[in-house]
Amino acid sequence: MNADLRSTGEHETLLQADDLSKVFGGRGLLFRRSRPEVRAVDKVSFSVRRGETLGIVGETGSGKSTLGRLLIRLLDPSAGRIVFDGRDITGLAQGRMRKLRHEMQMVFQDPYGSLDPRMKVGAIVAEPMLVHGAERSGIARRTAEILEWVGLSPAMAERYPHEFSGGQRQRIGIARAMALDPKLLILDEPVSALDVSIQAQILNLLRDLQRQSGVTYIFIAHDLAVVRHISERVAVMYLGKIVETAPRERLYAAPRHPYSASLLSAVPLPNLRAERQRKRIALYGEIGSATALPGGCRFHPRCFKARLVAAAGGVATTALSKDVVVPSRCTDSEPPLADDGNGHFAACHFPLDPNGAEARDSAPFAAGQSRRHS
Amino acid sequence: MASGEMARDSAIPRQPAGPDDPEAARRRRQAALRRYTRHPGFMVGATIILLLALLAILAPWIAPNSPLKTEMSLVLAEPSWAYPLGTDQFGRCVLSRLIYGAQISLQVGFWVVLISLTCGTLIGALAGFLGGWIERAIVALIDIMLAFPGFLLALALVAAQGSSLTSVITAVSIAYTPRVATVMRSVVLTIRPRPFIEASHAIGLTKLRILLRHVIPNAMPPVIVVATVSAATAILAEAGLSFLGLGVQPPTATWGSVIANGQAVITTRPLISLSAGLSIAVAVIGLNLLGDGLRDTLDPQMRRQTGAKML
Repeated sequence: MNADLRSTGEHETLLQADDLSKVFGGRGLLFRRSRPEVRAVDKVSFSVRRGETLGIVGETGSGKSTLGRLLIRLLDPSAGRIVFDGRDITGLAQGRMRKLRHEMQMVFQDPYGSLDPRMKVGAIVAEPMLVHGAERSGIARRTAEILEWVGLSPAMAERYPHEFSGGQRQRIGIARAMALDPKLLILDEPVSALDVSIQAQILNLLRDLQRQSGVTYIFIAHDLAVVRHISERVAVMYLGKIVETAPRERLYAAPRHPYSASLLSAVPLPNLRAERQRKRIALYGEIGSATALPGGCRFHPRCFKARLVAAAGGVATTALSKDVVVPSRCTDSEPPLADDGNGHFAACHFPLDPNGAEARDSAPFAAGQSRRHS
Repeated sequence: MASGEMARDSAIPRQPAGPDDPEAARRRRQAALRRYTRHPGFMVGATIILLLALLAILAPWIAPNSPLKTEMSLVLAEPSWAYPLGTDQFGRCVLSRLIYGAQISLQVGFWVVLISLTCGTLIGALAGFLGGWIERAIVALIDIMLAFPGFLLALALVAAQGSSLTSVITAVSIAYTPRVATVMRSVVLTIRPRPFIEASHAIGLTKLRILLRHVIPNAMPPVIVVATVSAATAILAEAGLSFLGLGVQPPTATWGSVIANGQAVITTRPLISLSAGLSIAVAVIGLNLLGDGLRDTLDPQMRRQTGAKML
């Protein structure tokens, strides 16, 4: 059931999550009305190797940002375990956790809101060093160094955040996160708020920083193209669960989970002819609500593959409505995240055949790329 | 991406304003200063308060007579060169009493603002930032205190404590602290969910440091405005208490007691009460203009973001 992606090779695991869950709301305390339970993250397990980049992709509401915050304990998990650098940090007291903060940092989505508008840029970047007891004399030098490192001029330390553009502010956010030379950096949609041209600059900056410092990234995004650019491994989340995880090339070339396939089919292609020819897989309906999860596989109400399998016959089926029929397995049992033997995990009873037509059609991004390169 | 290095180089931003030389910094400071000097309300208010403060500080040199010396031969004298506003029924110089009265009024205004701003900011910030049962307890307490009209509360406190400058200041401060705390809490509530607060947690700051370094500085502009305006109400409250004979005790000169004394002869010598009333009005208008000016000029960026409602 657990997709244990612990590396078998020479790399060491930096971060491991076991059955991590976060439930918001629930029974109210005295005076407080009880709110419906929201299973934002539901029994998620994975691990990240030192120095690699794991991309986490999902729609709004898939729980990816919550997961990122759980991993560095900005939120406390409801259940499960987090092991960071060989150490269980799940139940660590706030004070002890604070001391560990310099090893795990975060870059936030909103470059406008995540910087204190009343602080000068230099003070913002210096703050983590100050907090973690760096020597005062070294801080100014290091601040200038880091600003230069992220492509800003050290003279800009004297300015306020509102004097900068979105891309520059995100550089400041990255500088603050990298100031303590962390081992792990959670990037929560760091480029979603930026223009496309600026996105590329920030992604390149992140790549350069990783090359120089060996920092491990967990890159959270809703944009498959961005994740592809930077990640070595990609995990796809749907309603609080990881539904598929695989090395980047394999996931983009031949997705096994119908959800990943439909996400990939929505990525526009740079090649105009390929763009016109490719098939798109439209999903049915909207992402479900985490307060009322469907039974069995939580993707079945929107799944095209389930409908195809049911239509082909040969399996026991259940009718969801007058027109929609899906296999009974999809409504009755939750599919485990299972390996295909090559480190390509998918949580689906009827995964796509990597050589099958649906998978090929749904992975035009890979096709477009290879055409470009040939 | 092969163009990675190039893209990064071209990304180094060049502000159109030019490099970060001292000249640019000076220009930015000047622009900030201009926001204040170009605001007529702020300038008028600041001038009035500055003049009043000078008057109060230099009272011993400016006042034509002693505010306490009674001249029984000159009871209720008409205005003259020696007594520009005439004398009251004890033969004291009205103008001198008004000038010395400014000392009391401004002291009350100053201390009340200082005390209620400090206490109110801390209480409100703690309530808004910590949340939970602490917040509920503080809010309940504030609501109870706000249920009394501020002046009545001050009146009751002074009546219980006895009249002196200290007890007037204490009473009015206690009455006005909840008002500042309410504003502070509501502003902090708008700041707490902002991403830079979460970012501060991620950096590893303690809650106390986040409160002191990030929450309070960002919440100050609207609170300062409220405090300035409440200096005006504090001056009014002190005048009211003095008028009722519960303020600083006679024969100390205060604006409120000048009005009260003049009231007995208001039909024959209206100038006495009127001039004291006018002094109060000028001080209050000055402070209100100053408060409005501060609201319009204190960090416009900030104001847009918090959207805090001013009093």
